[in-house]
Amino acid sequence: MTALIPRNSLAWLLIAQLVVLVPHLPRLPWWIAVLWLGCALWRVQIQRMRWGYPGRLLRVGGLLLIGLAVYVSQGTLIGLDATVMVLLLLFMLKLLEMRSPRDALVVIYLGFFIVATAFLFDQGIPLALYQGFCTLILVAALVGLQQSPARNDPAAALRRAGVMVMQALPLMLVLFLFFPRLAPLWSVNVPGSSARTGLSESMAPADIANLAQSPELAFRVEFDGQVPSASTLYWRAMTLSRFDGRTWSYDQRLEQRTAPPPDTAGAALVYQVVAEPSGRNWLYSLSGSVSSTPQVNRLADDTLRALRPLSGTFAYTATAHSDALLQPEGLSVSERRRELQLPPSGDPRARAWARQLRAEYGSDAQLIQAVLAHFSEQPFYYTLQPSPLGQHANDEFLFDSRRGFCEHYAGAMAFVLRAAGIPARIVTGYQGGELNPRGGYLLVHQFDAHAWVEAWLPGTGWTAFDPTFQVAPTRIERGLEEAMREEGSFLAEAPLSGARYRGVSWLNSLRLSWDDLNYQWQRRVLNFRSEEQLALFRHWLGTADWQRIGVIVLALVFTLMAVQAFFWLRPARRTGTPAQRAWQQLDRRLRPLGLGAQAGEGPRDWQQRIGCALPSQADLLAAFFDCFVAQQYAGGNADAALLRAHLKRLVRNLPRRRSAGLPVKRRLL
Amino acid sequence: MKDVLSAAQDAIGEVLLGKSQAIKLALACILAKGHLLIEDLPGMGKTTLSQALARVLGMSYQRIQFTSDLLPGDILGTSVFDRNTAQFVFHPGPIFAELVLADEINRATPKSQSALLEAMEEGQVTVDGATRPLPDPFFVIATQNPVSQSGTFALPESQLDRFLMRLSLGYPSEAAEKSLLQGDARRVRLDAIRTVLGREQLCALQALVPQVTASDALIDYILRLVNHTRNSDACAWGLSPRASLGLLAAARAWALLEQRNYVIPEDVQAVLPAVVSHRLRATHDPAGHGGDSLARWLLSEVSPV
Repeated sequence: MTALIPRNSLAWLLIAQLVVLVPHLPRLPWWIAVLWLGCALWRVQIQRMRWGYPGRLLRVGGLLLIGLAVYVSQGTLIGLDATVMVLLLLFMLKLLEMRSPRDALVVIYLGFFIVATAFLFDQGIPLALYQGFCTLILVAALVGLQQSPARNDPAAALRRAGVMVMQALPLMLVLFLFFPRLAPLWSVNVPGSSARTGLSESMAPADIANLAQSPELAFRVEFDGQVPSASTLYWRAMTLSRFDGRTWSYDQRLEQRTAPPPDTAGAALVYQVVAEPSGRNWLYSLSGSVSSTPQVNRLADDTLRALRPLSGTFAYTATAHSDALLQPEGLSVSERRRELQLPPSGDPRARAWARQLRAEYGSDAQLIQAVLAHFSEQPFYYTLQPSPLGQHANDEFLFDSRRGFCEHYAGAMAFVLRAAGIPARIVTGYQGGELNPRGGYLLVHQFDAHAWVEAWLPGTGWTAFDPTFQVAPTRIERGLEEAMREEGSFLAEAPLSGARYRGVSWLNSLRLSWDDLNYQWQRRVLNFRSEEQLALFRHWLGTADWQRIGVIVLALVFTLMAVQAFFWLRPARRTGTPAQRAWQQLDRRLRPLGLGAQAGEGPRDWQQRIGCALPSQADLLAAFFDCFVAQQYAGGNADAALLRAHLKRLVRNLPRRRSAGLPVKRRLL
Repeated sequence: MKDVLSAAQDAIGEVLLGKSQAIKLALACILAKGHLLIEDLPGMGKTTLSQALARVLGMSYQRIQFTSDLLPGDILGTSVFDRNTAQFVFHPGPIFAELVLADEINRATPKSQSALLEAMEEGQVTVDGATRPLPDPFFVIATQNPVSQSGTFALPESQLDRFLMRLSLGYPSEAAEKSLLQGDARRVRLDAIRTVLGREQLCALQALVPQVTASDALIDYILRLVNHTRNSDACAWGLSPRASLGLLAAARAWALLEQRNYVIPEDVQAVLPAVVSHRLRATHDPAGHGGDSLARWLLSEVSPV
């Protein structure tokens, strides 16, 4: 029988399991927590020798049952959620199989792995701090396992674990900064992507109004230089060209073609976006943007796409050219057909109005101005609570209810333009943003979601028009909160959101500070990729060549070790009384002869030992040691000069090197 | 006067063959006015040593054999009603002697042990409300069997602390055992011992002990030793100030036995195992053994200079 697991280390183990499981529990079904409690209880009973270990039948049956339970709750056995769940369950059940300390080690190592898996689901600062705490507890459990059953000191284990974790921190920093950033060998699907709020690939009336109730963050932007005014910031995410009579949707075929960069006319505006995980691959950009980040594509409709859906935060840099024109050369036949596509029937009044406008205005630009004028002159009302619309949504909105959110205005305008023969499409994205004065960057929330219209005009290409601006200019200039001040519907469904309390100054400053911290975390830690790493190397080391970096790092490590070694190995400093110094001097002199003072050796014992090895020096030895003992112990006057004189005479007569007959070492006691 | 000390050692050495170090330690203990605990297996000469000491020192001698049914009254004495005077008359127990041998002290129950140990500490006993002083000098030499032997009540740490030294005799060397077997019976030899040191001489020697010079450097050494036990993880607890006082007194007595009037670190090293081993316990050792190896470890850890 191998050694049992000590009681105190079992307590550590259970605590460690609990803290490791906690961040996973909210995602998991309730019965997992119950199962853990059951396993822990059983384990404690095993330790108390009340219950036995589970038999083979139970173990095999339990394993099958767990597979079944995971399958039932997740619908699959592969995929991230299911595999992590299986791992957690095996982690719990290992408790019941733990017979020797070796098994406990397996559990602890598995715990470290589970700590890492939690980052697949969340990478925020609170979780990172908590997982640091988990690591501490796991290390303490590891230390506790090494304590003997009699020496049962949890505080000591925790202290030692703390010291070890602290010692590991510099190593962690070095690895974080210097370890080559390899692209992942496989990619995992984003867990729970469907549950995220954000823009979708289609837009029906009331979609964006619903999104505008969400205080969640969409992305953050930092500009090189001055932050432009909010009214010019139209963040394009995607263009919607297909209309089925009620819903505008995204044309998947766009994905297949990447576009050449636009002409680089006008002032360049460089900005860096850190997008929150959306589970989709569209990115947010200003009109006429190109990105220098390798994982970003530019599509034909002037939007940016990431190569992979955003499972974590994603940072990219883009440059916008303010005067860039989009497709000024003209549309192809198929493009023109797509941008003019309308369902064969529906909205007869809007179509009639379009025909009337077409007859009235010769040029497209004039026609568009007339439509915009219609929005500003007629009693339209901008609201988050539009009245429900029936079958002919555009008709009802334009001529009856006249109450709507941005998607109503954009949808109706695009419909009328298409009916009048002008290629037009909806652009969805975000508009404006909140400036964080601490970090000097913009926060764009889901409630900044917006939709507007782009029409193709000869000569200028695709041109943006925002009908919402005609109705509610405050929305564009000062944001949704100001626009909805009268109605009081801003974030009415999120009473606890921090964004709702921007009026309370200390709360708001706290919120912005926290956000700044998160932003820096995402930019500097989570998005520290190989480009950033190389830039760092270039900045600090003057090179990005891996060989030279390796040499520099090794040189650095050796220098540190040399400094450390110097402090460890340097000879003891000269301290103490003259007698002690004389003793140390003689010790240093005799050490090469193998006659140095042994641990705890007294003067007379030492004298005798040296005397045995060097009988010829007996008199000088006796002179020195008599003087030493007389001054140190017999109450004689301390006369350093006399002692030094004796020592000098003795040292001068000692042999320089060890002769064959000298004893090398002899234990004192 | 100092010749007397070596004469005393020689006289005891006649009976207890090949144990000169233990005899010297026992004499140092008595010179330092401390009580002595001898721990060893049965038949190793514990009683012989104590009897020989009593004879050489010429002290009045009583032996109490501790058994599990021994009562405090058996040690201290009892008051008996005298019909003639119609009064209670105190009949002093065996403790009223200058040298008391408490044989196999750990075979008695803690109640009886504490009766003796109280007397050791106070130098007086209180029976029936009357406090009676014990003779001066007053020594207790206790012997005990190792705790692992059956039928023993281990002395608690607080009571072990009252003994200045704990000695262990150990098996004799082969040569010593041979001459033991060849020579006269122990009883005959014991009877042959004559008093070497009178009571007055002993008191004079004891008065000499505090006058032995202990320099600052030496006292610093003792402090380093004591502090090391207090700060080290290896010891369950550190040495008490009583232990450091005892260590210094014993070292002085040892220096006196070495015919010196100052203490050197070797004196401290010679008495330290006997003085501290029963007061130390290793952290990892709940059974309470390990004091001897701790004492050796302590000596090798602390530099004397």
